[in-house]
Amino acid sequence: MIFKATRLAFATAALAVAGFAAPAMAADFTAENPECIAPANPGGGWDFTCRQVGKTMQDLGLIKQTMQVSNLAGGGGGVAFAEVVNKRDSDNDLIVAASSATATRLAQGAYPGNNMSQVRWLASIGADYGVIAVDKDSPYKTLPDLLNAVKADPTSVAFAGGSAVGGWDHLKVLIAAKADGITDVRKVKYVAFDGGGEAITQLLAGSVQAFTGDLSETKGFIQSGDVRVLAVLAPERLGGEFADIPTAKEQGIDAVGANWRGFYAPGKMSDAAYDYWTKEIAAVYASPEWKKVMEANGLAPLDLQGADFQKFVANSVQQIQDISKEIGILK
Amino acid sequence: MDTLAQLAHGFDVAMTWQNIGLALIGCLLGTIMGALPGLGPSNGVAILIPLAFTLGLGPTPSMILLTSVYYGAMYGGRISSILLNIPGDEPAMMTCLDGYPMAQKGMAGEALSISGIASFVGAFLATWGLILLAPQLVKIALLFGPAEYFALFALAFMTLGGVSSSNQAKAAFAAALGLGLAMIGVDTQTGVPRMTFGEVHLYDGIDFLVAIVGLFALSEVFVFLEHRHGESDAAGRKVEIGRITPPWAMVKSCFPTMLRASGLGFLAGVLPGAGASLGSFISYSMEKRLVDREGTFGTGDPRGVAAPEAGNNAAAGGALVPMLALGVPGSGTTAVLLAVLLSLNITPGPLLFTQNPDVVWGLIAALFIANFMLLLLNIPMVGVFTRLLLIPPRILMPIVAMVSFVGIYGISGSSFDLMVMIGFGVVGWVLRKFDVPLVPVILGILLGNPMESNLRRAVQISNGDWWVLVGSPLAIGLWIIAILGFLAPIFFGRILRDRMKARSDEEGSLRD
Amino acid sequence: MSDRFFGAFGLALAIFYAYAASQIQESFLSDTVGPKAFPYIVAAIFGGASAYIEQRPDHEPVWPPLGRLVEIGAAVIVLMLYAQVLPEIGFVFATAFAAAYLSWRLGSGLLSSVIAGVSISVGIYIVFHLILGLSLARGPFDF
Repeated sequence: MIFKATRLAFATAALAVAGFAAPAMAADFTAENPECIAPANPGGGWDFTCRQVGKTMQDLGLIKQTMQVSNLAGGGGGVAFAEVVNKRDSDNDLIVAASSATATRLAQGAYPGNNMSQVRWLASIGADYGVIAVDKDSPYKTLPDLLNAVKADPTSVAFAGGSAVGGWDHLKVLIAAKADGITDVRKVKYVAFDGGGEAITQLLAGSVQAFTGDLSETKGFIQSGDVRVLAVLAPERLGGEFADIPTAKEQGIDAVGANWRGFYAPGKMSDAAYDYWTKEIAAVYASPEWKKVMEANGLAPLDLQGADFQKFVANSVQQIQDISKEIGILK
Repeated sequence: MDTLAQLAHGFDVAMTWQNIGLALIGCLLGTIMGALPGLGPSNGVAILIPLAFTLGLGPTPSMILLTSVYYGAMYGGRISSILLNIPGDEPAMMTCLDGYPMAQKGMAGEALSISGIASFVGAFLATWGLILLAPQLVKIALLFGPAEYFALFALAFMTLGGVSSSNQAKAAFAAALGLGLAMIGVDTQTGVPRMTFGEVHLYDGIDFLVAIVGLFALSEVFVFLEHRHGESDAAGRKVEIGRITPPWAMVKSCFPTMLRASGLGFLAGVLPGAGASLGSFISYSMEKRLVDREGTFGTGDPRGVAAPEAGNNAAAGGALVPMLALGVPGSGTTAVLLAVLLSLNITPGPLLFTQNPDVVWGLIAALFIANFMLLLLNIPMVGVFTRLLLIPPRILMPIVAMVSFVGIYGISGSSFDLMVMIGFGVVGWVLRKFDVPLVPVILGILLGNPMESNLRRAVQISNGDWWVLVGSPLAIGLWIIAILGFLAPIFFGRILRDRMKARSDEEGSLRD
Repeated sequence: MSDRFFGAFGLALAIFYAYAASQIQESFLSDTVGPKAFPYIVAAIFGGASAYIEQRPDHEPVWPPLGRLVEIGAAVIVLMLYAQVLPEIGFVFATAFAAAYLSWRLGSGLLSSVIAGVSISVGIYIVFHLILGLSLARGPFDF
């Protein structure tokens, strides 16, 4: 479902803060009506990215108005991507939340007619490691337990995730299964839900046996003890309250899945605006406030801006294309 | 006792002059936005988010302001349903069925006040339900897997026939039309575009707001254009607005209806993804089955107004249960509220009640305050609202048309959406001519995608075994109710059809 | 008779819908049911209901005389023009014109419909833009 509704709040923001502000004529670009599109329903990772960054920008005084967050869900981010490319290609006030999921679908050509060079990639704000979790009463205690069950009978374990079939949540399971020596990964059963929240609910309801998602989506349920995280797909153990969670690697399954989070901007955004946004996001990243947000949400560091980020995304797309071909889901 | 102490603490938090002022502003704005076609509770809440942030409100005052708007809009939606036959927001769709006929019979005042009372009862009971049952209710929500959701949606569609038309085939036609329209756009499961014919504007599907405003509001304008016979409107029409307070006997006769509808609506609200529209719909159709012995539902029966209003306000309260306790929104509006909580650094979820008791109990106290405030605002204002009917149609209808356009354009900023809306207006007019009910079309557009997704998830989980759809006692129970609901009107169809025929002959003679 | 035509039209629409569903491109890795099954089910219900309507028509609806149909057609055209020019000439002008037209066709005198059109337009602008803060179409004059 699409929440275009939120977009209409722009004007209110402008009204409430500045009365009728005249359009900016200054040479240096400043966003008059900063808007962030979250290409999913509220509650998911993209939504979190938009809202936390917007809030931090406002708290730091980087933007005068509230960052307007529009939820534009559908097609695993494809609807938002098409909207930006087709309708809002030269909007200087707009940024869009993106992540590995975006790169995945771009890599697989799942945004029909769109590719990564149609937009400008701004900056990253951290990485969110993938987790594979089960209900607290589940018989599976370790990741090998779970994957052995898959090996024995692929139909016995249904994985629920927030992305569509072939999306990043799905791929993470496949990467782990592949690393564990499961050859026909297409047999691994995956069920797509509208976002991580719904997927976890169905895990708790017992409709599915396992959950694949990101650590930030799982956090509340780890604290309440409702789910057991079998593995985090990080190169080494995370710090703080997540220190108890074993990595897949230490259980003998060499799978790493980092969901980076960042932003892209419309393809015809002016250079001045592009520089403005990269600088703003970098300032957010560098702030102690953001460090706190990262810590509280299980985000690991990933500090890339402008050209570096552009290159990183290009590599990331290439990598996923390779994996998808190797696994056999892409010709 | 513990609960009551916490509630008292909540009132402590909520009862400041600032919070009460915010609640009052929220209730007023919410009522207005709810009444305007095109602006519903979810947009209403969204509009005020920047206001809450720029005022620098803390979590509790923000939530008080926004939930007041939410409850206010649920109250406001009924006003245009009753007075203009145009639902102010999607759950108020069912209120048109009996509310507008009541207004036509000169009982607009009674319809507005009885629905105001029903709204109050629904919201009041739902708030108690939220307090007393939230932890247990989460367990009910967890009983619903994909197969059960599919059965629930099927139940809604299978009980459609008896609700809004004498001809089952036409109800089925309308529902299939709505479901078919819902398929347009990018498939949520696999990400492939469907029925878009390469048109990018269709990738995100048909917004149900565009459909509802076109089908109801614009087609109403066309109906007026069709029937203008010079003197027949404006001067010729005698306007009666009825009493401002309902007779006690009417309230009494509606009271059991309100209680039943509140219970059903609340349960529908608790299920994530079902929401207020399903709540008001199921309340109306069940109530019709239960008490409509004389066939007066659909012709201006006060119980037909009380049922959906109690149902949708109770569902609004119920939808807060999964939002607060699971972090999963049960409706469009709670999705927006959830987003607000997240940006205030509060993560709803299993631990919210223990980690942020101030927010939760302050919010619940605010719901009570808003609800009483709305009752006190709404009953005296019935007189003001009904003045709308004194505006002659040649002025009122252009206002309705233009407000519809503004509502849609202001939200999406897209001329394409306006063209689609005009298309819906024409389709709505044609369907009315053929006596095809409009409610199932909207229901199809609203529920089509979740219905399909849950069917596909269920079958995927069971490895392609379609029997999973009747694989649990709960699913079987829902199917039995659905089948009974589907068959009953067919068995009693003859009687019903004769009655309908008699009635439409009357209408026909009135028309010319 | 009208219902027979309506049913036949619905049947044709259902067949077209099923055809359009068959044209959906399946993605390389799909779920068990796939994106086509549900649209087929919908097309079947749609077709079934249409066939029933075609076979068992209700009594004839009351069709308006031709003049009234032209009236509705003209209103549709005016509203479509409105939708198109709205972003070009701005909200207030476009709305005043469209509202005045509707008011005129619904029975107001020429002068009073112009007054109605202008006041509706300005009134909506005040309520929706200045008070509620919706972003309405901006024309060359910024309103």
